[in-house]
Amino acid sequence: MLTVNSLQVAYGDIQVVWDVSFEVPERAIVTLLGPNGAGKSTTLRALMGLLPVKGGRATFAGRSLIGRSTHDIVQSGLVLIPESRATFSTLTILDNLYLGASTARARPHRDATLHQVFQIFPILKERQTQPAGTLSGGERQMLAIGKALMARPDLLMLDEPSLGLAPLVIERIFEVIEQIRQKGVSILLVEQNAQLALETAEYGYIINLGRIVREGPTADLMEDPLVKEAYLSF
Amino acid sequence: MDIVAQTIVSGILIGAVYGLAALGLSLAFGVLRVLNVAHGELIMVGGYATFFMFSLLGIDPFVSAVVVFALLMLMGLVLHWLLFAHIVRSNEASRIKNSLLIGFGLTLILHTAAVRLFSADNRTIFTAYSTLAWTVGSVRLPVVKLAGLAIAILAAVMLDLFQTRTTWGKALRATSEDWTIAALTGINVQRAYLVSFALAAGLAGLTGVLISVGFSINPSIGLQWTLKALIVVVLAGLGSVRGTLLAGILLGVAEAISSLHLGGEYREIVGLVIFLIFLSFRPQGLFGVAHA
Repeated sequence: MLTVNSLQVAYGDIQVVWDVSFEVPERAIVTLLGPNGAGKSTTLRALMGLLPVKGGRATFAGRSLIGRSTHDIVQSGLVLIPESRATFSTLTILDNLYLGASTARARPHRDATLHQVFQIFPILKERQTQPAGTLSGGERQMLAIGKALMARPDLLMLDEPSLGLAPLVIERIFEVIEQIRQKGVSILLVEQNAQLALETAEYGYIINLGRIVREGPTADLMEDPLVKEAYLSF
Repeated sequence: MDIVAQTIVSGILIGAVYGLAALGLSLAFGVLRVLNVAHGELIMVGGYATFFMFSLLGIDPFVSAVVVFALLMLMGLVLHWLLFAHIVRSNEASRIKNSLLIGFGLTLILHTAAVRLFSADNRTIFTAYSTLAWTVGSVRLPVVKLAGLAIAILAAVMLDLFQTRTTWGKALRATSEDWTIAALTGINVQRAYLVSFALAAGLAGLTGVLISVGFSINPSIGLQWTLKALIVVVLAGLGSVRGTLLAGILLGVAEAISSLHLGGEYREIVGLVIFLIFLSFRPQGLFGVAHA
């Protein structure tokens, strides 16, 4: 579904991603793990057309992602929830969700999708007329996920969904991620919380200094000495 | 007492035009993060369009307001496509700098073109109703300026409704809050920029209509109107349409009262002092939405 080959990305003269290749098959849940500054977020932003790609290839659903505008990529079914709680704080929860269905693929199903989102997160329904800025961190992450679902993604990429959240909220978010996958949406999970990510995903890639350094089924990665030492030692 | 009441009323009437001038500047700055210093020149063009439609074709200025609004929106579309669409692709820090350069260039071109084409003379539209005024107590209310106030309020209400009730308007607000997140949400950010810039130009045109009929126009009015609009934007802060109109009226009243007490030569100073005070102590303005 998503295939990335030898991707290279630079901010001006500073190259951050040197050689990243990975694949997310249909209906799969894949994780991309790595320390801060490894190039995870940069990779995701480049795939969404927010950063220029310096080299390599990336295709989604049979079409190249390179050189396309972000809203066009969203329209083709690839959606990213960035790590910075991607909601509009001055708009109401309902308006945030409605804007999530901005693309032509999502608009005709807007009310039906909204109904599903409210079933997953009843709290959003209760507070639909409040500005998103009044929500707590966990609620805002739920809204960000709800807004992403409104776009009717085929592949949902989540950048650090657990960042800064309480353990109980994280548990709920990961339940929802599993639920979304069961509805047929593929998931790419980017995390620093390696334990959680490896338990959730089926297949994983380890990225460091802009390069993929390990890959394999998550069960194997959990036994890998390098992974154990670097990511699971706490 | 009468002179004070008359002064305040005159301040409100000119202030409404300041507010309208600022609505467009604020919209373009809020959504595109570009400062169009040629906003005043677009106002000037709107004024001349109204003037010539009246003097050559005999069209009433309040009728041609609709045409001028549409005409300037069209001009905004072209200017955005030719000039500003290129700068909004760069990061936000260089957007402001580049927009200043392009704006000043545009200012020079439009000013020089206006001098060549229309001469440097002052022009005012005199209609049959230009001297009509209502008198309430001892306060004189010129009809054209009252109509200007009504148009400014109507424009602000329409813009507010557009931004709070329509999907496109909400997409503009989302883009102004964070264009990256807007793009990731599936909003066509380039289109949001285009719509905002065109609307801002249309509002500038409408301001020009009011100036040509209630006051006077010449090729050099651009800078002074850009400056007034900028002071109002700083006074109001970004993100509140009603707040912007109100801040315009506040500036008008403050100027009028100061010219009463300090003399007309201090009129311009008042706005600049307000500008500096707000930039130093309350950069988010009176009604601004503080962004994280």
